[in-house]
Amino acid sequence: MATKKKRTPNVQNNSWVVIAADSSIDSQKHESEPAFVRLRNPSTDATSLYMLSSGDVQLFEVKAFEEDFHSWFVGQTVQRDGRLLFVTPMDPLYLMMPYLIKSGKEGKFQPVDQVVVDEEFPACSRLLRCTRSLASLHHIAEEKEVGKQRFHRYSHEKTMTWLKKKVERAVCVLKARNISVGERVKSRTYIRVKSESDYHDEDYLRYAHGLISEYLSEDLSKALLKHLQLPELTSPKESEPPSKKRKLSDKPVEAEEDYTKFNSADFARKPPKKMTAAQKSLAKADKTGMKTMSSFFSPKAKAEKK
Amino acid sequence: MSGNTSVTRVDVSSVAQAQRVPVHFLPCEIEHNGPAQVSEYLTTTTKDCKLEKTVSFRGRGLKGQELSCPQGYTGLVLKETNKPSSDHEDRTLRVSSVFDKLTYWNLETPPNSDDTVVMAMDWPELAEAIHGPVED
Repeated sequence: MATKKKRTPNVQNNSWVVIAADSSIDSQKHESEPAFVRLRNPSTDATSLYMLSSGDVQLFEVKAFEEDFHSWFVGQTVQRDGRLLFVTPMDPLYLMMPYLIKSGKEGKFQPVDQVVVDEEFPACSRLLRCTRSLASLHHIAEEKEVGKQRFHRYSHEKTMTWLKKKVERAVCVLKARNISVGERVKSRTYIRVKSESDYHDEDYLRYAHGLISEYLSEDLSKALLKHLQLPELTSPKESEPPSKKRKLSDKPVEAEEDYTKFNSADFARKPPKKMTAAQKSLAKADKTGMKTMSSFFSPKAKAEKK
Repeated sequence: MSGNTSVTRVDVSSVAQAQRVPVHFLPCEIEHNGPAQVSEYLTTTTKDCKLEKTVSFRGRGLKGQELSCPQGYTGLVLKETNKPSSDHEDRTLRVSSVFDKLTYWNLETPPNSDDTVVMAMDWPELAEAIHGPVED
């Protein structure tokens, strides 16, 4: 093979390919325009990019689907940046939760607009304008009404109940979409015939827990695992929850555009039942020109074969 | 305070004027941003078979397939025409093009449902499970 050519950094990127929920670009009834804002990521505590629809009615998550060696043709132009961004509706409670937890430690009922404030991320108070925010706070907090004022206090029990429902919803979609949740299905070169019964409910629960943990602090993620009555796994090699594994493959987010990195280790569909010999050889041949698809599904060295 | 205070607005009025364009997702990085004669050299030589499209691109056989955006979703190409000089300034993006399907190309491998970009299209549904409102 020829020596690897050093690629020049793509400094002049000014164009992005996005698949966006239609509701994110609907501006009919509101004065302000939709905007990308930086907010504190509840899992990493660092900056991530989110989007608020016009009038701050709805919150959206921005995820970058990214694979090495891809570019776009858009009409009659080349766009070097091969990322595909997804803008999907997001539950604002995930972002508000860390603030409520923090103030909940004082044990007092407080007006939520005094709780969801962040000097470093001033846009966070806009979360309270989202239609869903105030209407759903009771899922994670106790409420008290005094006169016209409403006061809230974080409730761990309520939060666990709410998160468990989230996990159950995710399990349903994982099952319905035939998304592979096992540890074994990693490499397209080493596919074994899998049947439905090879996946246990625990696999689905763990996987869904990993997906939800993307939005939780480590403590909360552990507490949820306990609430789901899933034992913490001790062998880190074979059975880390997906949330942990994904961190391994997360490249540091660029300072300029910190789209939360999208990683399709999140969901790999179950492999087809059988591959023809030709497909197998192609899957192998594919390795020369580009990163294999299988390496994208899983952290390296995990594609164990039998 | 750092750039956390600045926002990047999307000029939604630009959607109305945005052109609907063909979009191709290529299995290689092209170190260039700018015009290219896509319809002349790629589109006209593409062979459309029942299950896949094929084309030769720079001597490599590409196999591709059309992929629709998930329901309730639209493809947008956002462009920043005036870059601000500092992080503190607000930025504005325009919708320069829209699409409701894209063509993705594999190098040699026939397109199939395990392709990562095909699976990525499942993300909105999974996101709805994670973020949709929960009943009491």
